[in-house]
Amino acid sequence: MQWTTIFKKEMLEYARNYSWIWVPIVFIILAIMDPLTTYYLPKILDTVGGLPEGATFDIPQPPPAQALYMSLSEFSMFGVVIVVLITMGTIAGERQSGVAELVLVKPVGYFTYISSKWAAKLLLIWSSYIVGMLASWYYVNLLFGEIAFTTVVQVILFYGLWLTLVTTITIFFNTLVKTPLLVGFLSIAVMIAMSVVNSVFSHRLIWFPNNLSSYILQMMDTGTIPTDLWATALIIIGLIVVLLVAALFTFRTREMAN
Amino acid sequence: MEIAEVLPILAPLFLLEAILAIVAIISWFKTDETNGPKWMWLLIILLISIIGPILFFVIGRRQR
Repeated sequence: MQWTTIFKKEMLEYARNYSWIWVPIVFIILAIMDPLTTYYLPKILDTVGGLPEGATFDIPQPPPAQALYMSLSEFSMFGVVIVVLITMGTIAGERQSGVAELVLVKPVGYFTYISSKWAAKLLLIWSSYIVGMLASWYYVNLLFGEIAFTTVVQVILFYGLWLTLVTTITIFFNTLVKTPLLVGFLSIAVMIAMSVVNSVFSHRLIWFPNNLSSYILQMMDTGTIPTDLWATALIIIGLIVVLLVAALFTFRTREMAN
Repeated sequence: MEIAEVLPILAPLFLLEAILAIVAIISWFKTDETNGPKWMWLLIILLISIIGPILFFVIGRRQR
């Protein structure tokens, strides 16, 4: 089948350019950095701070849920940037170098091409992200207190939607413009615009995608899944589908135009 | 607070940083063409921890 062929070709490429090694490592580092430094900061200050004798100050240790949430915050900042950086060239780069034309003269449908690329990227990103979250969960359990495994699975599944949305936005811009750097720039611009819109209208747009992580925190605190989280998740899934279909259409028109 | 107390917990972080840098150097060694002078990328990988190797992987290598 064509779909698996392109998918396998992508997997081979990730292996060759070391993506399968460095992306998971970066996600693990991002995930464990904040919980670790938060835990050790008071101790490090104690040792090297050079505080006067008798001076004490207490930095309260966050509850486990808050500590795990730190990993999500890191992913929302740097994780998103990494996702955009590794996705910005996936189609645009091949169109620029002419590889896309070589692939598309064969009986490969546009949808096959886009969806297999999308799925391959998601497999890489989700694997790295899951490994990172599990590492973070391990440290949070060790340093801050217990979090149930089912909770972590729920957090991973819900927050993964956000990374999926970011990937899909970047794939969409891949079909729109041919320069990887421009793809990256546009995707980041959209992410920034979304967070601005969210901070301006946060009380009006309660199911805006950017609210996802605050509902996830709420879920960890209360132990139940809030309906707002379901609604936000559904909206994100809807957006992903719309963006994929839009990507298919722009890609078809662009390629026809050539 | 002793160094020995912290080491087992922080060690994985340093190990990951080291693996990241080593893989980047292997990749740097195998790449013929980089964006910009090749020696500059070696310095970036070695001197800027974590971000240096990432930069190299993402924008350092010439596509194909």
